Amino acid sequence: MAGKPGTTPTTYSPSPTTQKTRRPIFNENDVDWVRPDGRGFHQCRPAFFRTGAVNAASGSAYAEFGNTKVIVSVFGPRESKKAMMYSDIGRLNCSVSYTTFATPVRGQGSEHKDFSSMLHKSLEGAIILETFPKTTVDVFALVLESGGSDLPVVISCASLALADAGILMHDLVASVSLSCLGKNLVIDPILEEESYQDGALLITCMPSRYEVTQLTVTGEWSTPKINEGMQLCLDACSKLAKIMRSCLKEATSTSQE
Amino acid sequence: MGLPDAPGDLSSEVDVDAFRRLFPLRFYERHLTESIRPDGRPLGRARDTTIALGAVASAEGSALAKIGSTTMLAAIKMEVMTPSMDSPDEGCIAIDFHMPPICSPIVRPGRPAEIAPVVSKQLSDTYFKALTSYMCCCSSGMINLKELSLVSGKAAWMAYLDIYCLDADGALFDAALLSAVAAFSHLQIPAVSLNDDGKIVVVSEENGGKLEKDAVNKERMKLTLKSIPFSLTCVLHKNYILADPTAEEESIMETVVTVVLDSSSQLVSLYKPGGPVLAYTSAIQDCVALTRQRMKELQKILDEANSGMEVD
Repeated sequence: MAGKPGTTPTTYSPSPTTQKTRRPIFNENDVDWVRPDGRGFHQCRPAFFRTGAVNAASGSAYAEFGNTKVIVSVFGPRESKKAMMYSDIGRLNCSVSYTTFATPVRGQGSEHKDFSSMLHKSLEGAIILETFPKTTVDVFALVLESGGSDLPVVISCASLALADAGILMHDLVASVSLSCLGKNLVIDPILEEESYQDGALLITCMPSRYEVTQLTVTGEWSTPKINEGMQLCLDACSKLAKIMRSCLKEATSTSQE
Repeated sequence: MGLPDAPGDLSSEVDVDAFRRLFPLRFYERHLTESIRPDGRPLGRARDTTIALGAVASAEGSALAKIGSTTMLAAIKMEVMTPSMDSPDEGCIAIDFHMPPICSPIVRPGRPAEIAPVVSKQLSDTYFKALTSYMCCCSSGMINLKELSLVSGKAAWMAYLDIYCLDADGALFDAALLSAVAAFSHLQIPAVSLNDDGKIVVVSEENGGKLEKDAVNKERMKLTLKSIPFSLTCVLHKNYILADPTAEEESIMETVVTVVLDSSSQLVSLYKPGGPVLAYTSAIQDCVALTRQRMKELQKILDEANSGMEVD
């Protein structure tokens, strides 16, 4: 505190808090509305990936989807904690944190406590843990700015960082989420759309093997809607994996020169 | 990394690398006698530095500063508070410095206690405290807190400045201070007005018209920065002074001196936290002289970053 040391006055954000009622553009019966950023319902935001963002790490990646900005570092394989029991296979340790300025209201990022275990579950099936017995691989993610669909971006970025660190995997893990708004399915939702959603669906998969590592469905869904949503996400995942793969190829070709 | 053609090349390469790992101090001393550092820099030169403003859209002011591969992201979020009785027309600045586990292999999440024995002094808690308190002093000299007042005695701005280290490779303080200063130079205070409940709300385009009678700040404004502090960290080893050390250099040669000067070359702070090298006054003077040079470079980089923003 530069002004008054010792005292922490209570503060509030002057920006108007989001209304509880749904904005008219997300009307249930209206099928003609446009998304706030002008995308089509089944159109993802442009994805940007870059590996080698953090020099101090064994592998790292930066991902930017619209306003969602994420950085992931991978450390190891390195010595496990002393308290750990002997293990024939390697361990995976994941942690996701938010910067205090990531969310519109300061310090809201600590609400996402479950993201670390979700990240762990989506990656453990893809990594060949037998290749680094007795040791641990640490995957640390920091959300620099939250713009919606944070978890899928973190997961895709983490698998890219693992590849950058040279950790053996069955395939890259790509992840896409989808919001159900009334009768409509919107893919790769932004923060505003997520706050009004009736249901959410998240798929993480290994597109080349056509295997799903994690599927999360919350909220109100009908079976045909789930099928439709899953198909949309799987298609988007395979496209996303292509972008990730080309990013890795680009990185190796530039380092060879 | 192509395959080496001659096996002889490979073996000599490995030898140098092994020598560097086994005898780091001797490796460095050999370089120092030639007045050059392993990364090809002369002793007094800092690494390439860049500033990118407006990296975080959800904050009112933000900046990403890179010195070599050391990367710092600073962002300022403005909130409203009731000022204290002692200073009814002054705002406040709260500064936090974060080392998330992504930035360095020695920081692990949730286990701050484990850091202390592993890492050298530079990363321990005292360093952070020193860093934060220094930054406060620097910024309070730079910013007139009265500019952060909204309604005397009722409402004032609280500027939350959070600095995140994204990649740690030495000279953390320099990069942190640079990113903080750049974030303040980018900061745009939003236009706000007082509503009927006595709360301050942001004037948005839609309802700007009807609230105008209570407008507190009519339009977005920038802070006037009186004198901008810039710093340079040097490592001392025997008679050598190495400006802007990397993490490797900081770990091998432990004595660091950090000098902070403001834009009119006045000394803001000087920090030498012990260390095995006892510096003569002349060495400190040399550090100050190096900082003066560096300050001019940094001022230029900051000005260029700011003028780049105005064009957009």
